Amino acid sequence: MNTVNFVTIPSSIVPEEEILVCGNRRLTYAQLAQTVARMCTVYKQLGLKPREVVAALDTNSELYIASYYAAAQAGLTFLPLNYRAKEAELEYMINTAAAKVLLAGDRYLDLVRKLGPKLKLNRVVGFGAGQGDIAPISKLLSDAAPDETEAEVEDEDTSILMYTSGTTSLPKGVMLSFRDFTAYVTANVEMADGTDRGVALVCVPFYHIAGTTAYMSNIWTGRKLVVMPQFEPKAWLKLAESEQVTHAFVVPTMMKQLLDEPSFKTTDLSKLTNLAYGGALMPIQVIRRAIEAFPKTVGFVNAYGQTETTSSLTVLGPEDHRIEGTEAERELKLKRLNSIGKPLPDVEVRVRDEEGKILKPGEVGEIIIRTPRIMKGYAGREDDSALAEGWRATGDLGWVDEEGYVFFAGRKDDMIIRGGENIAPAEIETVLMSHPAVDECAVIGVPSVEWGQTVKAFVVLRTGGKLTADELSEFCRSRLASFKRPEHIEFIAVLPRNPLGKILRKELRGQNGE
Amino acid sequence: MSNTLGKRYQCEKCGTEVLCNKAGTGELQCCDANMKIKEAKPLPSSD
Repeated sequence: MNTVNFVTIPSSIVPEEEILVCGNRRLTYAQLAQTVARMCTVYKQLGLKPREVVAALDTNSELYIASYYAAAQAGLTFLPLNYRAKEAELEYMINTAAAKVLLAGDRYLDLVRKLGPKLKLNRVVGFGAGQGDIAPISKLLSDAAPDETEAEVEDEDTSILMYTSGTTSLPKGVMLSFRDFTAYVTANVEMADGTDRGVALVCVPFYHIAGTTAYMSNIWTGRKLVVMPQFEPKAWLKLAESEQVTHAFVVPTMMKQLLDEPSFKTTDLSKLTNLAYGGALMPIQVIRRAIEAFPKTVGFVNAYGQTETTSSLTVLGPEDHRIEGTEAERELKLKRLNSIGKPLPDVEVRVRDEEGKILKPGEVGEIIIRTPRIMKGYAGREDDSALAEGWRATGDLGWVDEEGYVFFAGRKDDMIIRGGENIAPAEIETVLMSHPAVDECAVIGVPSVEWGQTVKAFVVLRTGGKLTADELSEFCRSRLASFKRPEHIEFIAVLPRNPLGKILRKELRGQNGE
Repeated sequence: MSNTLGKRYQCEKCGTEVLCNKAGTGELQCCDANMKIKEAKPLPSSD
């Protein structure tokens, strides 16, 4: 179905229910639907035709959400752009997607002007005040009558073209269809019917799949959505308390910043029942600290997914985060905290080796998945991850235990091969992170004439932590097979990360001549 | 039996799914049989 119905259907049932909060702006379903319908008219006035592309470049806001649903209503493809992308990346994304119109926030207008004629756009519109000939969307909206029609779309039509974060290469345009979002949202939440379903706080960017599915699911189900333009720990805590937030999603670096924020201890988080995390590998120390520090009423959820699969594939639920029971049970639960959980009902997971043979529990290989919400494909390039019978190679390494819990062991591309032995960086990082003086670390392979590659660790120490490379190497001696022990250890101040907290190993490798 | 607001109904024979956005007293049928309610399986996460 056309995803604009995620707004229009609830709006016809509970029009006066407040659904969206951003800063001091609060919108009911009816007001949101009205803004969407006006924006649909604006798109048509700008000359956009069904299946053409409208791009958005801004931090999160209620207008950003409306700009997506209006695109759906008009049958357009929506291109949410990473606002931290460099000039060349923006030019690449906008031009390869053949976007016709760009909606840009005030802080990005200088950048857009600088790129100027390089961008093959028909028109730029300001999300904010605009600039010169760039009109503010508010002005266009106030002059537009609401469009009452809904474009006929095919389920397979691309609703969102989402470029992945691209930690290793140029961003890839993932084509997600109306069907993908409808399948994800309707399978996982009930439609809004006036039932109190709580309050969700969204702080991850809307150009990311977790931000997109957050607004789609929460608006569909009637869980009031509190939108943060960008994450900031103090403001997050303040909003969580003042808006009585029940549900939230953070990436691991955000979780750590919340725990380190001085006002954390004095914030009332008694309404928070559900705190999900994902987007990057969660360091075990951080989640253990969070379990200790947040109120016991908070249920933690680890969600693992990909843009290509329309968000979550596996989930480690609240029960698995309660470290209770006998010593053996506690030990098992602590071990499982490293897990990314079990597949969702509409997902199948298997692990295969290089030859495609399905592996037994405990054996490490590539995680492959099957679900009805796999992307249509990549825009303008081949998808070499599609396998027979609807399966898809994730490019992630992992294993499954006897009870079906899936464990992540790093990206396949990051695998280190030392003298023919495969070494997953995640395994070594887990050991290094268990040293009390280590705050963060990343392990890569560096070129070696003798071995092909050897193991190098980049280590960030805790504030006040003291440790030498020899001491850390000794620490690893009893915990890792000799060929896995880092032969080079470098202490650095901070790890290079992308906006979602994923470690940029490419940059680390770049420093080592690869 | 009436149909229920917000529920998805599925035809067990042909797989058609129907979403009810206004409830009534009627009963949904497809392929000569009553359609069955298909429940969402709530995600424990925030999305």
